[in-house]
Amino acid sequence: MSGHDSKYFSTTKKGEIPELKEELNSQYKDKRKDAVKKVIAAMTVGKDVSSLFTDVVNCMQTENLELKKLVYLYLINYAKSQPDLAILAVNTFVKDSQDPNPLIRALAVRTMGCIRVDKITEYLCDPLQRCLKDDDPYVRKTAAICVAKLYDINAELVEDRGFLDALKDLISDNNPMVVANAVAALAEIQENSSRPIFEITSHTLSKLLTALNECTEWGQVFILDALSKYKAADAREAENIVERVTPRLQHANCAVVLSAVKMILQQMELITSTDVVRNLCKKMAPPLVTLLSAEPEIQYVALRNINLIVQRRPTILAHEIKVFFCKYNDPIYVKMEKLEIMIKLASDRNIDQVLLEFKEYATEVDVDFVRKAVRAIGRCAIKLERAAERCISVLLELIKIKVNYVVQEAIIVIKDIFRRYPNTYESIIATLCESLDTLDEPEAKASMIWIIGEYAERIDNADELLESFLESFPEEPAQVQLQLLTATVKLFLKKPTEGPQQMIQVVLNNATVETDNPDLRDRAYIYWRLLSTDPEAAKDVVLAEKPVISDDSNQLDPSLLDELLANIATLSSVYHKPPDAFVTRVKTAQRTEEDDYPDGSETGYSESPSHAVDSGASPPATSTNAPYAAARQPSPVSPAQVPDLLGDLVGLDNDNSNNAIVSIDQPTVPAGPPLPVLLPASSGQGLQISAQLIRRDGQIFYSLLFENNSQIPLDGFMIQFNKNTFGVAAAGPLQVPQLLPGTSARTLLPMVLFQNIAPGPPSTLLQVAVKNNQQPVWYFNDKFSLLVFFTEDGRIERSTFLETWKSLPDSNEVSKDFQGIVVNSVETTLDRLTSSNMFFIAKRKHANQEVLYLSAKIPRGIPFLIELTAAVGIPGLKCAIKTPSPEIAPLFFEAIEILLKS
Amino acid sequence: MISQFFVLSQRGDNIVFRDYRGDVQKGSAEIFFRKVKFWKEDGEEEAPPVFNVDGVNYFHVKVVGLLFVATTRTNVSPSLVLELLQRIARVIKDYLGVLNEDSLRKNFVLMYELLDEVIDFGYVQTTSTEVLKSYVFNEPILVDAARLPTLGPAAIFMQGTKRMPGTAVTKSVIANEPGGRKREEIFVDIIEKISITFSSSGYILTSEIDGTIQMKSYLSGNPEIRLAFNEDLSIGRGRGSIYDYSSSGSGAVILDDCNFHESVRLDSFDTDRTLSLVPPDGEFPVMNYRMTQEFKPPFRINTLIEEAGPLKAEVILKIHAEFSSSITANTIVVQMPLPTYTTRVSFELEPGAVGQMTDFKESNKRLEWGLKKIVGGSEHTLRAKLTFSQESHGNITKEAGPVSMTFTIPMYNASKLQVKYLQIAKKSKTYNPYRWVRYVTQANSYVARI
Repeated sequence: MSGHDSKYFSTTKKGEIPELKEELNSQYKDKRKDAVKKVIAAMTVGKDVSSLFTDVVNCMQTENLELKKLVYLYLINYAKSQPDLAILAVNTFVKDSQDPNPLIRALAVRTMGCIRVDKITEYLCDPLQRCLKDDDPYVRKTAAICVAKLYDINAELVEDRGFLDALKDLISDNNPMVVANAVAALAEIQENSSRPIFEITSHTLSKLLTALNECTEWGQVFILDALSKYKAADAREAENIVERVTPRLQHANCAVVLSAVKMILQQMELITSTDVVRNLCKKMAPPLVTLLSAEPEIQYVALRNINLIVQRRPTILAHEIKVFFCKYNDPIYVKMEKLEIMIKLASDRNIDQVLLEFKEYATEVDVDFVRKAVRAIGRCAIKLERAAERCISVLLELIKIKVNYVVQEAIIVIKDIFRRYPNTYESIIATLCESLDTLDEPEAKASMIWIIGEYAERIDNADELLESFLESFPEEPAQVQLQLLTATVKLFLKKPTEGPQQMIQVVLNNATVETDNPDLRDRAYIYWRLLSTDPEAAKDVVLAEKPVISDDSNQLDPSLLDELLANIATLSSVYHKPPDAFVTRVKTAQRTEEDDYPDGSETGYSESPSHAVDSGASPPATSTNAPYAAARQPSPVSPAQVPDLLGDLVGLDNDNSNNAIVSIDQPTVPAGPPLPVLLPASSGQGLQISAQLIRRDGQIFYSLLFENNSQIPLDGFMIQFNKNTFGVAAAGPLQVPQLLPGTSARTLLPMVLFQNIAPGPPSTLLQVAVKNNQQPVWYFNDKFSLLVFFTEDGRIERSTFLETWKSLPDSNEVSKDFQGIVVNSVETTLDRLTSSNMFFIAKRKHANQEVLYLSAKIPRGIPFLIELTAAVGIPGLKCAIKTPSPEIAPLFFEAIEILLKS
Repeated sequence: MISQFFVLSQRGDNIVFRDYRGDVQKGSAEIFFRKVKFWKEDGEEEAPPVFNVDGVNYFHVKVVGLLFVATTRTNVSPSLVLELLQRIARVIKDYLGVLNEDSLRKNFVLMYELLDEVIDFGYVQTTSTEVLKSYVFNEPILVDAARLPTLGPAAIFMQGTKRMPGTAVTKSVIANEPGGRKREEIFVDIIEKISITFSSSGYILTSEIDGTIQMKSYLSGNPEIRLAFNEDLSIGRGRGSIYDYSSSGSGAVILDDCNFHESVRLDSFDTDRTLSLVPPDGEFPVMNYRMTQEFKPPFRINTLIEEAGPLKAEVILKIHAEFSSSITANTIVVQMPLPTYTTRVSFELEPGAVGQMTDFKESNKRLEWGLKKIVGGSEHTLRAKLTFSQESHGNITKEAGPVSMTFTIPMYNASKLQVKYLQIAKKSKTYNPYRWVRYVTQANSYVARI
């Protein structure tokens, strides 16, 4: 071949397609080959050359492998759009699969597997069967992967034809490439099947561990990843496995090293001998550190994994903190990860060294990095009590440089340090106040204001300082306004003199009349009422002692950490999210039926990319990933932290403050529609209780309103729920403050399910008992809606929906007609259903009727498959559901009727 | 397993695109490029190598200005994918001699053939040039290498040293030379990247050497090769040692950790520190190693800052080359960030200075001092007079620095690891291929705090 391939991209003035057609049918081999190259070139840039299908396929029968490969490439691309013509290629494929040349045999099977056309697939089975038992390992390894391809197109066919057994036989093949591909194929098939297909027994384990030593680096990763699912029977077996995997740690390929680390970490959980564990930790350190000498991209992956590993086994890298020091030419994403790990490894022993580093980073040019470094100093102060003083002196030094963003960041972390060590370091407040006028970021401003309010009695001119902020009150962001409000109230309570009194008038006025921010207004009214009714009570509330905060640098929830550690060396460990949070597997077989790529161009380089028809529609829940999202994940609300009315007063009211603060963003009290009255004042000796079960942020709460219309203060409220169908019960004690006559209190009581389950027919009846110290016990009944149980993860994939629908017997289908419901707009109906966690899957038209398919799930993963049939604008709706628990259906109909009627 | 592989140019043009599983939409390259180009998340302005957009995971590495990208929907091993992307780049380099947009476009048919053998249905099959040779039939079309910047660690030999045949490293492993015969030769490059941080008083805070022994063989018939290292080499340091080598005190070369290419046999490594291997075709690392043992830094950096009045200061930078005078470092650049309120800088070089340049980068307030070469044992000084727009409050040292340096020193290695001999199994008496053993040291992160 001479000249450059790029010449094939040039066009001629004559019609291109007819010219190519002519060349493809040339009698000269070379000319035909050149023509096919031109066709491929055109295909690459997105031109439609499908009309040349027959002519290209005619070139397929050739001994020239180079040409054959090109034709196959073309076929893979266009067979789907020309299924009838694709059949023309079948004969050649079948013939090729018996060619004496193993490369041609393999090529035929490999290509057929890539053509997702039924007619071709039918003819694939026999050649595949032969190739799985071929003499040549190259053919066998290609056939092994081909089984996975076929499974993706037609799983039943694979099972019926016994390909799974053939594949399992290949695990014992004498060629390691074949073994590796068989393992990879089986692992993939297992992942997409609910039946046990590829279970690793101790026998396969030892076979695969032996194969490991012979395999290519990539094969080693396949095998290690498959074996990592194996649970050793006892410590001895675990030790044996580890011993055989440990040599992989010396591999030059980072993927092999990380997969080996994963395997070792997993087995270590079983090993009881501390000596063995200590020794393993020692062995893992050097290879982990060596990963940091790789390309920055690999370093990033390694660092994200190390971040998890040191949370579980801090000893592994306890002495290696120096390798995590940032290099000036590290990419920013590497530097940020290194900082995280430095904080995690910081100890009393190395803190001086670490602080020296942080201080150095804090004077670098990259603003984001500098901020994170300053924050890191604060986090070390919070983490290491004995080093707190040194950390603070570094922060003060940094403040003195007067670089604006450094000062602001320092103030934010110092506020946290004050909360961690109350009454210890307040002497530095004076220094902080010097920088007051340079603050321009909301978070820094809010932090400074909090400090002034909290320590008003120690700052002589606290009132002047706050006053200077008050002038601009209306223009401040909400975060700062809230802080100003609280700080002024604190100031007034601590120094009830004339100045503060005037200030508080101004603030309250600004925060009630002048604002349209409901949070600010609510808080201002609460203060106002507190101050006007009982200043002493106000003091108790506003100036209450704050809980001491703790360090968050090991913040991952233990169960999440467990799950992530089991997923070391996968994407999950990079995102710090469990796999199901981002894996949205689309079954390719199903996709091909629905998708129709207009140009069918393999290389999608056309001007108008056709991704509009991406039926792989991932649920909107999987948002654009942020590897750092883990830090932002809300920590599960523990039963002890019961949200209550005054929660935001007792806590540090800084809603957006960094996450060093113990969960303060508790749900605020709903301002929704009034709650139904369940215990009227007339039957409750003046106590009136309204309540409703609600769902919020994925959690179920009992929203309660207590109104004391009696003549005596009521206190010591407690609540109890009787056994019920779903075992609904309180997750913690009821927290209602003393109720003075004429006052009321709202609260959100977190609820749990499946506590005391009442047998008998399902019902949504909830029997509640409430008592207090002054009155008899009150009993009342509540009837809740099943909708509150519908979970946020109720979206079911289309394929799963169909499968589930088919798999459930007809007896599980229940339907009901609602004559009184009118669907006026499909959109609004769907919106309403979605907001109750019933998720739209598909819709079709049947005569004049719309048929909607939706899914929902109640806890314990019980799905509801819903079919709604209605004609728009005409009364009458038919609702059919299929679920493994049809006995709940009546409750469902009840709920949906209320939802759609209103 | 991966779904798609593609290579994008710096402008976002699709150069190569291969879909393996059809479960990721066709527009992914565009989505990816837009995301990377306008990345702004968590306050960072550079996209991490792995991220997720609408359920599709994107991996990328940058190789000579090209973006090598893979997509997947499943929870794959990210290190596998990133490593694979690097390896694909290396295989292409082996085939084409030069990796750039032009050579890829000229060889697109070969690219597809290669990609079909490297990956099947998203599973890596092989990335060994040696293995691929037997399945790939297209011949590379070579581009003119002379004018093009080259790829890889070996590229550093292109400058400053006249001993090497200049075009060898950009020669395709596969293609024949004009005249039909291949020159029998083998390159062994000992490449060390050193990272040092000096404290403000000149002590070494951290130091590290990342070394790699890179081999590129153009030998026909794959003869066996033996590489011998200095005998005082040992692996594993201090009490944390996991190996049973007794470290023999001073003078010895002690590596913290190392790993070897899979073709390497270590049978006699313990007894006489030799490796034997049959090198596969193409460029590959025989051994990677890491060392934190103390070593003599090639350069000492001395920084002096003197305030001269409220709005003026003088910076004096001194570089002393600590290595032997028979060695010359080249392409040295010294950089130092200056206080943000610096408005003007005037430079004063030593009298008679040749091949030096100075610059004050206004945009990021950075002082730059470039030197074409530094001979071992010599010392160079730069004086810079700074003018400020505001008073410095005596904080100059906190707002300037650190001083960082980049350089290349051919035929020098800081670790003292040596290849004592390179033995090629003889096929005949007349068989005497060219052997090139080359050392080079480069700065990775060479920083002096002030």
